[in-house]
Parts: sequence; C-alpha cells; structure tokens
Amino acid sequence: MATEEPRYYDVRHLAGTSTHIDIENGTIEAAGQSFADTAIVRALGATGWGMVAIDNFSEAGQSGLMQAVAEALSLSKVTGERVELADVKTGVLPVPAIKEDPREVSLEEKTEILSSIESAARIPGIVNTRARYIESEGTVWFMNSSGNEYRYESLRSGYSILAVAGRGGEMQMARESEHAITGLNMRHKEEKGREAAERALLLLDAAPARGGTMNAILDQELAGVFAHEAIGHASEGDLVKEGVSVIKGMIGQQIANNVVTIVDDPTLPEFGFMPVDAEGSAVTRTEIIRDGVLKNYLHSRETLAAVGDGVAGHARAEGSSSPIVRMSNTFIENGDSTMDEILEGCKNGILLKGSRGGQVDPGRGVFQFNAEYGYLIQNGEKLGMVRDVSLSGDILSTMHNIALCGTDRKMTPGYCGKGGQSVPVTDGAPHILLRNAVVGGRHA
Amino acid sequence: MHNVTDYTDLVETVLAKARHEADEAEVYLGVSDHVSLELRRRQVGEAEKTVTWAMAIRTITDGHIGASMTMSPARWEDCLTAAIASGRISDPQAWGGLPEPVTFSRDIDVYDPSLIPDADTASDLITSLCTAAENGEAEIAGGGVSLGRGSSLIANTNGVLYTHDATSASASLEMINGTSTGYEFDHVSHLNDLDTDKVAKEALFQADYWAGAGGIESCASDVVLTPMALSQLVGGILMPALSGRTVHAGRSFLADKKGVPCMDPSLVLYDDPYDGSGATRWDADGVATRRLDFIRDGTVQSFAYDLRTAYRYGETTTGSAVRSGAGGAPAIGVHCLKLDARRDEVREEKAVLANGLIGAHTANTITGDFSVELSNAACIEGGEFGAPIRSAMLSGNLFDMLTDIAGAGEERREIGSMTLPEVRFKNLHIIGTQE
Repeated sequence: MATEEPRYYDVRHLAGTSTHIDIENGTIEAAGQSFADTAIVRALGATGWGMVAIDNFSEAGQSGLMQAVAEALSLSKVTGERVELADVKTGVLPVPAIKEDPREVSLEEKTEILSSIESAARIPGIVNTRARYIESEGTVWFMNSSGNEYRYESLRSGYSILAVAGRGGEMQMARESEHAITGLNMRHKEEKGREAAERALLLLDAAPARGGTMNAILDQELAGVFAHEAIGHASEGDLVKEGVSVIKGMIGQQIANNVVTIVDDPTLPEFGFMPVDAEGSAVTRTEIIRDGVLKNYLHSRETLAAVGDGVAGHARAEGSSSPIVRMSNTFIENGDSTMDEILEGCKNGILLKGSRGGQVDPGRGVFQFNAEYGYLIQNGEKLGMVRDVSLSGDILSTMHNIALCGTDRKMTPGYCGKGGQSVPVTDGAPHILLRNAVVGGRHA
Repeated sequence: MHNVTDYTDLVETVLAKARHEADEAEVYLGVSDHVSLELRRRQVGEAEKTVTWAMAIRTITDGHIGASMTMSPARWEDCLTAAIASGRISDPQAWGGLPEPVTFSRDIDVYDPSLIPDADTASDLITSLCTAAENGEAEIAGGGVSLGRGSSLIANTNGVLYTHDATSASASLEMINGTSTGYEFDHVSHLNDLDTDKVAKEALFQADYWAGAGGIESCASDVVLTPMALSQLVGGILMPALSGRTVHAGRSFLADKKGVPCMDPSLVLYDDPYDGSGATRWDADGVATRRLDFIRDGTVQSFAYDLRTAYRYGETTTGSAVRSGAGGAPAIGVHCLKLDARRDEVREEKAVLANGLIGAHTANTITGDFSVELSNAACIEGGEFGAPIRSAMLSGNLFDMLTDIAGAGEERREIGSMTLPEVRFKNLHIIGTQE
C-alpha cells in the first residue's frame, strides 16, 4: 500500500528557445525560433516511481507543482518494484565560459555565416549542398524534496554541412559538423564546406570496401564511437540492473587488453558537459575501464542503490523525459604508440575514418558502426580509398583485440539515442589498432 | 483530459491577428494524454503520465514562409512574431496559396472511444504480457505498455478548420536468455486489437531460440528480411529517395527514374492515408489526402510533394505533408505506406532470415549502400527455422536488391507508418565470423 506522502519527489523544468537555420543549394529554406516550456515531476511512493510530464509548466505555479506531485504519487501505486535511492554528493559545477554568445548575434547574421560555409561547398562536381544550424538555450531548474535546488543556463549550438558529388549517374556524399557549449563556433569555417565537398568528390572514385576479418586502424572519431557503442552502453547501470548488459557481474575482471582505459567524464567542457545530472547528483569523472580491468558502471541514484560497483551522476534526460543512465563525454585514454607503430602493427588491413554512427545490442554483446570512408593498408603503407565500410563484433572478444592506442586523442561531438531520447555527447579516442576486426563490405 | 476543441477561441485569436501581419497564416495545434508503465524485469518500476500541448504557426507573405512553435498558450504572440520574423529571412518562392476548405466523403478509423489512458487498464495489460511470457527459459528484462489519446487541429486564413482524434495502445517486451535477446512490440489504434500474448510469445521465442546460436561462414545467400528488418532499410533509404524535395534538390538516387523501369516488375509501393494507424483525412498543410502510387510495375510513378515543394517546382501536392519540419513546419513524409511484391513461399528454399538489423541508420542514404549486423538471424529451409546465427554482417545496396525480388510472404505487418510483408532477396553477401 502506498504511503500518503511521497518518500521522495523532484521536479526538472526546462524553459528556453531553439533556433534553426536550413540552407540548401543556396536557398534559405528556413530560419526561425521556437519556444519550449516543459517539466517532469517524479514521486517515489511505497514501491516505485510515479511521474507526470507537463508542457506549459511555467503557468502551473506552486499549486500546479503540488498537484503534479500528488498525481505522480497516485500513479506510483501501480508499480511493484521497490525503488531505493543511493545517497549521493550534490552540487552544481559552473557552466564553462562562452566565447561568443550566439544569443547576441542576430538570426540574419547567423544565416549569413552559415551561408558562407554552404557556398564554400558548391564547387564543380557538387550537385547538392545543405547546411544546417541548431541552437538551444534556456534555463534548467531542479528541485527535490531533500532540499536541493539548482538553476543553471544551458546553451548549445552547432552546424553541419553536407555535400553530394555526382558524376555519370553516380553520387557520393560527405559531411562535416561541429557542435559546442562554448558559444558560436561557425565563424570562418568555410574550409569545412570545402572539405566536405572535396571528400565527396574523392569518394566518387573510391572502391566499395571488401568485407572480411582483418586488422583495422580506427581514427579518433571512429574509435570514439567504438568506445561509446562497444563498452559505453554496456556499462550503463540500468542495463546492468535489468540483466541486459554483457558485462554485468564482471567488475574487477580483465575485459580488455591492458592498453585500454575508457572514461566517461561529464565535467569536461565538451558537448556532453553537465553541471549537475538530471536528478540533482554531482557529476564526476568515472573510469569505466582502467588498464583493461572493468572498474565502474555508470549510474543513477536508483541503479547505484540496486547494482553498486560504480558512480552516480550519470542520469540524463531529453526535455521532460524521465532521467535514464547515459554517457556524456566518453573516451579512450591516450596510449603510447606512434602512428608509424600503429601502421606497422597493422601491416595489412584497413584504416577507417569518420563516422556515420553505430548501434549496439548490449545484452547480446554485439555492436556495429560505420565509417565514412577508409584506406587499404598494405605492408604498413596507406593505399587506395574505399567507401561504405562498417565494422561489427562481439564486445568481449573485440575489447581484447585492441592492440595499440596512439597518443593523439581527439574529441568529436554528436548525439546519442536511447529509450527514445536523444542527448548531446562527445566521443573521443586516439588512433587505435584493432586485430581480427570483422569488416563489412559489398565484396568478399 | 483535454482536446484541441478547448482552444478554438485561441486559434481564432491567432488567425485574426495574423491576418493583419501576413498574406496568409495557418495554426496547427496538437494535444495528447498518455499513460505508460515501464517494466524493470517482471515488475513495474515506473508509471508515467504525459500531457502535451504544442502550437505551430506558419505565415506566408509574398512567398516568404515563416514558422514557429510554442508549448505555452500564453506565448502565442511571441510565436506569431517569431514566425513572421522567420519568414523575412527565408528566401521567397512561388506560392499559390494555402488550401481552401473541402468536405471529406470518407471516414477514418483511428479513434477508440473506449480507450482511456489510465494506469489500471495499463496495469492489467502488463499482467497479461508477463503471464504470457512465463512458458520458457528466458527472463523478462524490460518492456512496457502505453495508452494514449490525442487530438490535432489545423486552421488557416482561408477558412480551413479540421480536427482529428486518435487513440493508441502499445506493448513491448524485451527478454534475455544468457546473452540471447528477444524483442517484440505491438502498436494499434483500438485497445481490443492489442495482442499482448503474441508480443510475449515472440519475444520469448527469440530469446530462447537464439540462446544456442553459433557462427556462419562468409557466403552469398538469399536473405529473407522480416517486416521489422525491412522497415529499417525502406524508411532510411527508399522513402527519402521518393521525397519531391530530395529529388529536386539533387540528392535522390531515383531523381531521373520517374517512368523508367528500375525495380522488380512485381514491386508495388503506395501510400494509402485511409488505411493504417497513421490514417488521416488531411495532411499537415490542411490538404485532403489521397492514395499515392510511388512504384507500380517496377516503375516509379510519382514522388511525394507537400504544398511548398509542389509550388516551387510546378508540381501538384500529393497530400504528403507531415509535421516533422523545423519549428513545427510541415515536411514531406508518408501516412500509411504499403509495400508488396509477387507472393511466394519465401521461407521454403534455403536462405538466411533476419528479424532485425543493427546499425541500419548508418546506411548511405543517397546511394543505398549498407553494411549492417544481423539481429536474431537464422538459416531457414522448408518453412522451418534451422541453425540460429549469433553474429554476421549483411552488405548490399537496397536499390539493387529491389530490382530482383525473389518473393514476398502472405502476411503483412504494420511497423510505424509502413505495412510490409517478409521479402526474400536474392544472392546477398554475408560476412560471417566462422573460419
């Protein structure tokens, strides 16, 4: 039977403005702003969570909040699982300084800046160019029944440029994008338009990849996605708790080659930065794997209490969705191998560059991700360009096959989807050498 | 429970002011109430009610189209101002006016008056789901039930005022046996159509059957894609190529293939906006919807157009606007897509069957090339499942695959806005992990 009062409740309210610009083939298709105002109220009854998500929360007032708490408590009565919350550190980090505040740049000027990137991509041989800018700014307010209350400003912005090359009925595309929390980042970035266009043209002459098992060198962006897909998701405490992580119960075990250290760090001033997590817990750098040994799972308060073996402060939510365990800034630490050593170690195989994203089934322990392009490696030398190449594998065996880690770690911003929610993240890594990788291609 | 008709005065107020500030204006309003329960293993861990309210305003002045959206009724003036400001920046285009009101002669069936989004009904469905999943070795990892009721409204300065009510019920279950996972779901408009028993049994079957999965050698093989697997490729590659905007912008593989035989002669692809859970009598522009034949007799018959794209390129709108554009603006999409091909016993001859694809979103959406990991794949022959496959990659090109289809199964399944059969494709390349 539910208690009359909630054991705990919290509210997370987001109110702000989003800006979008869309330019295609030199035409300004859209440029405008929209307004968000949404909140989620959670209450813990005798057993589990009751939650109420409400749009137009600004007008609800204190009475609306308490009504939502009562409604959430009532909903919680149908839950059966007794949820406990771990005690955690609280506190909010200062938001990193903004170099140029996009809110102080007019929509007209931002459109002109984006247009210059899009124009730069329109070179001979390019049949389509599309540039987009997104900016979201607002205030996040969090308050819970334990007496904690935080309010902080959130600002994210970024752009992407897509170029499509065409010749004799064949088409190939290439894309560049940059996203940041430190303000407007698209001034003087015309070279990104040209890079996308030139690579799309080169891809017209690239051969389809040949599939099979081979040594693979992953560049920093792709190795970052690999860390995210192959081990990051499997380390999320909710998946461990539900039994759908292939690394459940393996804390303290050597699950990767000892050159591998993987970290999730929401405190870094990268695109996945959080000053405080979505349930008010303080955020902290969390080593998932240290020298090949599984050290920590990523947790919310609930999953930390249920599973242990990790660190809370990793709950995130898109808009007024319920907070779930997510990654933030996830990366493979630098090793000590030079690029020459990595090429030599590969000897014959493939160098994979850029990312078109990836996916994982953490319960089965199988992942897939796709490179934008690659180069064949023969006797340690980089040869011809290949396209449409992906890589898949078994998490546990693949982690042992990371033979070398470089010294050139780079972070790449993007978005990650889970449970129908998309949140900003950064993935990073140095170049890495993967032995016996299963590479997908159209020819054997 | 709220309904868009509670806000018709607000809509009139917005349009009245917009008339003075723009040539034309349109208001789209959507509200919904949902209750969802989420399973944590066998027990409900979360019960959530979601109440949404969103209003999108579009203005047109001298061919300049502007749009904005808000979640607050009180901010409608900010929203209108933002829409007009947006229009000033966007480049002008040929524009022939927002639609006039029409009378609809047919009804749609996506509203179940008996479906009330309440926690007790959802709880009963959860019990059915869990009970049906008991007769096997696999354990429930997660899943849930969601019940929803929503209404939408479109009104414009030409006198259009249409409303649309819809209900939804969905159930999903994820099960695990060792490192073998099974996932199934159902999504319907009418509560009585929700088949929790089938969802549970299929998720259980997958998790248990693939518990003994092994490797496969790299090979060329016929591949049968279930509706779930096929929908990932059709949605990600084929449908964008049939969008009028993509075609005219120069990034569609099919741009120069209208009227040209370029697919298997038996392939049929069309949008029937009156048949499916996405059924609607009017599209996101307020234009009456109609059947749209994309592919017939292996030939591309038509591309999809919304009002804006049609005016720009001298085409006619196909009633294909959906609410997915930036700032709540319409964009081109489909309502109830149907795919069919020559019927055959697709599981009879030896092949590899895949229930799902991992990483389908990483496909090259322009060329159609993809290379994905198979999910719950198995060898099949004589209509029976053979050896389950733990891990293998499938590489191919969807446009090539559609030129020579081996056959389509009898049963159809609705996945999102698509209704698809199982389809057998010839001689595809599989990269296995077995030496």
